[in-house]
Amino acid sequence: MKTNAGNLKKGEFISYQGDIWQVQKADFYSPGKGSALMKTRIKNIISAKNIDYAFKSNEAVDVLDVTSVEMQYLYKDTENIYFMDERSYNQYTLPIDVVGKAVNFMKEGNKYYIYLFDDKPLTMRPSLSVKLKVIETEDSIKGDTVSSAKKQAKVETGVTVMVPLFVKVGDLITVNPETGEYGERVKS
Amino acid sequence: MEIKTNVGNLKNYQIYLKVESAVNEYLQKKGYLKVDLPVLSPSLIPESYLEVFETEFRFLDKKEKLYLTPSPELFLKRLIVHGIGDCYFLGKSFRNSDPSASLHSPEFTMLEFYKVGANYMNIADEVLEMLKFISQKLKIQNHKVSFEKWEKISVAEAFKKFAGIKEQELFNHKLFVKKAEEKGYRTTGFSYEDLWSQIYVQEIEKHLGENGCPTLIYDYPKEFAALAKLNSDKKTAQRFEFYINGIELGDCYTELTNWQEQEERFNEAQKERRKNKKIIHKIDSGFIDALKYGLPDCAGIAIGFERLALIFSKAKSIKELKLINIV
Repeated sequence: MKTNAGNLKKGEFISYQGDIWQVQKADFYSPGKGSALMKTRIKNIISAKNIDYAFKSNEAVDVLDVTSVEMQYLYKDTENIYFMDERSYNQYTLPIDVVGKAVNFMKEGNKYYIYLFDDKPLTMRPSLSVKLKVIETEDSIKGDTVSSAKKQAKVETGVTVMVPLFVKVGDLITVNPETGEYGERVKS
Repeated sequence: MEIKTNVGNLKNYQIYLKVESAVNEYLQKKGYLKVDLPVLSPSLIPESYLEVFETEFRFLDKKEKLYLTPSPELFLKRLIVHGIGDCYFLGKSFRNSDPSASLHSPEFTMLEFYKVGANYMNIADEVLEMLKFISQKLKIQNHKVSFEKWEKISVAEAFKKFAGIKEQELFNHKLFVKKAEEKGYRTTGFSYEDLWSQIYVQEIEKHLGENGCPTLIYDYPKEFAALAKLNSDKKTAQRFEFYINGIELGDCYTELTNWQEQEERFNEAQKERRKNKKIIHKIDSGFIDALKYGLPDCAGIAIGFERLALIFSKAKSIKELKLINIV
């Protein structure tokens, strides 16, 4: 669907220079010299890179009907990740490259949101944090009060995260799947 | 749209009030007369890119179109012609088709002041001194911006430095559009002015006012002369804008005093308004008459007052400065 850039709203998906982008920010701006503009921040949904672009407010932009569907993560092989839409039982495949680092923090059987356009999967909707159980870490030495000190901890998906010293085996922690950084210790 | 009450913005609003009283104190101390002006007018200065609010006065079977003023310029310059001298307005202005955004509101507060016998660079000195005065009055310390000096850059220098567009390309419409196309901008159906503005916002503005002091960008192409006097090169106008942290705060001209040239520009702007399907209002012919009578050499600046107050507060948007917003 074509619309004037002046109508763009946060959250919409657009086609720009051959790629699909999600609008992160859209702010009307009239410099009083030439026509008004729509200052946007758009995120490339494949590379996850943000760019700032000022559209002319009367410039036609393609808004795409992208949906986000909750799917179960089945398994992965060396190249791809496989999901299933539990309502239709349809399977969808995403290349590991597209999902990026977040793949290290995905648990089989868990549910993730997948962006679909024309029933083709584009990428996984990024989440800011995932909950994971610590399966291996050294006990901290008593009396060590340096609060900024960190140690390694292996989580249930098999990757290692730097965590504060108080974290123990069996604890549930949150991790940012995009950066691999520890967030906090949580109750189950 | 709805009415939103935000008493939580009281702290920001108090800063706004302090900036307001500092500005009044500064300008009055420097001999500028504060003028109260109408905001409803039967005719306006035609501006190509501004949409206006139209309303109607009705009495019995009599009807007359009135417009909310997008700027107090038409009144202030009349007063200068009548010998009032240096003067300013601090009050509401209205621009239609400007949806509320962090730095835009269809109804906003404008500070506009004129100095007789001055050119645009004299106004630049005045503005810097005023900014310094406000920050001293508000006792703002460790602020990210110092008002000790301007960083000055001409529009031509800025396009070369930040967008890689050479001077000969900047002033030649054909070459400019070609360059825009090479850069990946959509050019079909868009004018030189549209593309210029897009590249300016996309590639230039973010670099302005980012070096610890305000940036003054000057000498705009004649297509953006509006009511400014042209330079002797006839390619650029004596217009500057100033920026702090990438935000445009003010727009200054050495005022055009030649009435014939002004009338031609009005006609051009009106044509542009028709082309862009803007509201066609009556052109203020009294303004041209005033110029015929003789506007003394002068320069003036329009400053978005909310944006000015934002620099001195912790607020990030115009809305955060206000207790009541229509959004």
